[in-house]
Amino acid sequence: MSDCGCQKARKDLEEYLRNEVCKTQHSDIKEHLDSCASCQEEALVAKTLTDVVARACKETAPDELRDQVLERLRAVQATH
Amino acid sequence: MIATIEAPESAWDADVDWAVMEEQTATEDPRTQFEEQALPFMDQLYAAAMRMTRNPADAADLVQETFVKAFGSWASFTQGTNLKAWLYRILTNTYINIYRKKQREPYQGTIDELEDWQLGGAESTTASSARSAEAEAIDRMPASVVKDALQSIPEDFRLAVYLADVEGFAYQEIAEIMKTPIGTVMSRLHRGRRLLRDLLAEYAKERGIDVPATRSTK
Repeated sequence: MSDCGCQKARKDLEEYLRNEVCKTQHSDIKEHLDSCASCQEEALVAKTLTDVVARACKETAPDELRDQVLERLRAVQATH
Repeated sequence: MIATIEAPESAWDADVDWAVMEEQTATEDPRTQFEEQALPFMDQLYAAAMRMTRNPADAADLVQETFVKAFGSWASFTQGTNLKAWLYRILTNTYINIYRKKQREPYQGTIDELEDWQLGGAESTTASSARSAEAEAIDRMPASVVKDALQSIPEDFRLAVYLADVEGFAYQEIAEIMKTPIGTVMSRLHRGRRLLRDLLAEYAKERGIDVPATRSTK
């Protein structure tokens, strides 16, 4: 394990945070993040952006949609 | 001798057929099974449809079409595989085939070809205290502002961001849903998030929240 440095960490930060495969080893990125405040902040911004988008996009389907879908499915099945 | 060998074989075949038929009558009605498994995803599919179509009426129609199509292909769904990803594939397909054609999307088809400099560099030059302020500002963004910002970025970027950030799909799953290589997914996701981040920073700045620009030029 070795610290990969800011440049490599920044490049693959998204992939690291999402646990996706990337060029730099995750353990090296982790080691860098542990000691680099600036990259930690960058990771915080990235994570916050994800959280905020996820939070903002929450929707509840209207009740009538559920009924409409059930009705359509019954109609489809009846024609088979 | 030959006859005695063949006879049990055909009897065995008959047994297998009976077993299959019995199993079929014993399993649930396909519609009941579909409703139990697929309908719990309605809120999620509706939320995605809202981000795609941008209005409740079209979103509701899109979700209906998606469920009808999914039910029509239900026999081809392999139990135990990722149902959510399967439904999202159908949703995305349906959207592209029906709704996207109706909308005017000037960037469509060329957006992936835009160079990084046209979208602004991804390199951040901000000091860490400023970025901490940025995280805080982003965290306090009203949902309506975040949705508006998401709505204003090119569609393929928006979809990649949505599927990754809201639904938590892995790159490979997004690649299958959007029918693009993983490299394209990554590029769309990175650029989409970059644009989103800049839009939110701009919004914060307009309201006097100090978030220094995270890139030098636009």
